[in-house]
Amino acid sequence: MRLDVSAIENNFAVHADDDGGIFGGAADLPAMQLPTCADFDGFQKATKELMKNKKGTTTLAFIFDKGVIVAADSRASMGGYISSQTVRKIIEINPYMLGTMAGGAADCQFWHRNLGIKCRLHELANKRRISVAGASKLLANILYSYRGMGLSIGTMIAGWDEKGPGLYYVDSEGARLVGTRFSVGSGSLYAYGILDEGYRFEMSVEEAGELARRAIYHATFRDGASGGCVSVYHVGPNGWKKLSGDDVGELHYQYYPAQATPVEQEMADAPAA
Amino acid sequence: MSIFEYNGSAVVAMVGKNCFAIASDRRLGVQLQTIATDFQRVFKIHDKLYIGLSGLATDAQTLYQRLVFRHKLYQLREERDMKPQTFASLVSALLYEKRFGPYFCQPVIAGLGEDNEPFICTMDCIGAKELAKDFVVSGTASESLYGACESMYKPNMEPEELFETISQALLSSVDRDCLSGWGGYVLLVTPTEVQERVLKGRMD
Repeated sequence: MRLDVSAIENNFAVHADDDGGIFGGAADLPAMQLPTCADFDGFQKATKELMKNKKGTTTLAFIFDKGVIVAADSRASMGGYISSQTVRKIIEINPYMLGTMAGGAADCQFWHRNLGIKCRLHELANKRRISVAGASKLLANILYSYRGMGLSIGTMIAGWDEKGPGLYYVDSEGARLVGTRFSVGSGSLYAYGILDEGYRFEMSVEEAGELARRAIYHATFRDGASGGCVSVYHVGPNGWKKLSGDDVGELHYQYYPAQATPVEQEMADAPAA
Repeated sequence: MSIFEYNGSAVVAMVGKNCFAIASDRRLGVQLQTIATDFQRVFKIHDKLYIGLSGLATDAQTLYQRLVFRHKLYQLREERDMKPQTFASLVSALLYEKRFGPYFCQPVIAGLGEDNEPFICTMDCIGAKELAKDFVVSGTASESLYGACESMYKPNMEPEELFETISQALLSSVDRDCLSGWGGYVLLVTPTEVQERVLKGRMD
């Protein structure tokens, strides 16, 4: 199986004796180094185990008549420890396309930025924007060539192109699915419960944003690995726009205000056997 | 995740001036999924003795029932309540009985002893006692709790200030732990009264 290293190769013209100029130094960039060790297979497996994470997050996206809504939480966890409550999981690939992050943060950030570069190159080469289908296919092909090497990416590519709104699910196993509603991560099942129940194709942008916000909120309540803030974005014909960013701790008390209740549990003696 | 992280828990006890406070989180989960947000982890043995049990929830409930049974027998025989130091030895012995198949719990014991002197201690799952003069912690959030208590604790705090301190320490620590939190429960015990309060925390 040949590795697809096209992402790392540079496309600048190689002039052997040209060290000045705009692309000075770039021609010397090496391709990604492969490890030189005795046990190539074992090394990868050990690294995979080291980096194993279970996509502790909740992200969702859905298409409706006015475009695409994309929403995510903002918690990063390492096992039981919360390493950050302020992670940006919705990545702006370009002004009309968004990607979501689930799985390894480094993997998602790098490959989304790489996808942005390829999309821009496509625009320059073809004098028109790349379609969402095309962009997601570029990413899916790259991830498929790294299949089995321990990349952990569960992403949704959402955007607006000539055919209207587009939404694709792409993951590190090589899957690429087209659809109208997706949720990815450990909290996705809880988000689906709210999303599937409240979804209609005809909705206003505010209603759709509120549905997404509530779905992510419920996932943060039930799932230990999701939390922090809910970010909601809308992708329309003129590109994406951030609708809201709310702290989940405060959202809970907006949806379920605290009431003064009598003592719920008496400290009772152990029941008589 | 280990068996101690299966349900998720956070328990802390602190000593003040002629009083003590014991607090816990309220989450019951199954690994990452939250099942309940009103789970009781701090139990009463008698008016001036409380035990908080972190770790596996089923073992916490069973261990509590066994301890209450032993204490009731003690009350019948001795016609008085157990002293906290004696109770701690009882818990330690009960846990060591199961040395090769232990209860997956870490108890935190807090009580007022002779002359209403506050007493706190914690132990590991096989009964190694650790007495402390200031605070004890246990549970999945214990590392965060150690840091928070170390920086917020002062000796000889009055009851109101002790309540504030233990609440802030608990809430800020469980906000760094995926497996505990979803509210807090604080018991403040002085020689004359017992106050229990439920804390409003982040529900994520």
